[in-house]
Amino acid sequence: MAHILAIHSFRGGTGKSNLTANLAAAFALKGKRVAVIDTDLASPGIHVLFGFTPAAGQFTLNDHLQADASIEQCAHDVTPRSVQQAHGQIWLVPAAMDGDRIARLLREGYEVEKLNDALFTLSEKLKLDLVLIDTHPGINEETLLSTAIADCLLMVMRPDSQDYLGTAVAIEVAQRLDVPAIRMVVNKLPELFDPQQVRERVASSYGVPIGALLPLSDDLLTLASGGLAVLMHPDHPWSEQVRGLASHLLETVL
Amino acid sequence: MVPTVDLDSLPMGPLSMAGLLALEPAELRRLLKSGLRRGLSSDDLQALLEQDWQGGLDTPPVQALLAALQQRGWFRRDGDRWKTHLG
Repeated sequence: MAHILAIHSFRGGTGKSNLTANLAAAFALKGKRVAVIDTDLASPGIHVLFGFTPAAGQFTLNDHLQADASIEQCAHDVTPRSVQQAHGQIWLVPAAMDGDRIARLLREGYEVEKLNDALFTLSEKLKLDLVLIDTHPGINEETLLSTAIADCLLMVMRPDSQDYLGTAVAIEVAQRLDVPAIRMVVNKLPELFDPQQVRERVASSYGVPIGALLPLSDDLLTLASGGLAVLMHPDHPWSEQVRGLASHLLETVL
Repeated sequence: MVPTVDLDSLPMGPLSMAGLLALEPAELRRLLKSGLRRGLSSDDLQALLEQDWQGGLDTPPVQALLAALQQRGWFRRDGDRWKTHLG
């Protein structure tokens, strides 16, 4: 059965989706079969990083949760060529992007249990090694489910006072749900910050291991979600850290 | 020590994740959480009950607990798996 990695943040703007997409590529570069599920149904966007936009007739997660599409029909192969050469594969289950569909989902809701069953059905049908869940920021029914079923929760935050407070709440919830492994990722770390001080503050604030400290990068800002940094800028420190995080997770918790 | 649950005080109606999160004691949350994902085989459930509740499926306190959860539609056997159901 595939391992479930939930990537979550308490607040928006942490770079959670960017990290999720790049981690998926880093895992796939190691030959893993990976699915990325965009459960940020209210504000989807991770598909952009894979250069994918659902065309007319192509199903999204909404079509499974609110209609009759099978979850396999909602999974699209987005494997970049360089990842194919490494014998890895990436499927994306995108969320619907048009306003009417998002509004309908918010208005009518969906059975959150259907999401649970979908992840495990997809895992079996595609013989996945890993399922990465890109969650909606904050806490709601879907993020609680994603947290509860995860083998590992990656909490992404910026070195920002509001993030420190909110992240504490999310970690308390995860611990109440007995998540087997939690790792902190501090993203967008400004160059003038002392990484050791940040490391110590995070460790003392949460008592949770740090997975990675990822630098704030002009290069990534320039990339502007136009691709995957681990593939387009593989020698960049941010990309090296993400690949290191993928290796760490595979060696320790996945 | 066997966890204490006042079964009559458990709310009626469908289980939500927020509701699961609020439940006490921790062993009850763990049981219901374990029924997510693919659910539990009878052997897995037996092992969990023996570890957390000091009793197997055939002991009266455990049977009363499972009956209360089933009555609420929260946790029941579906085929060969024991599953938690969210409303």
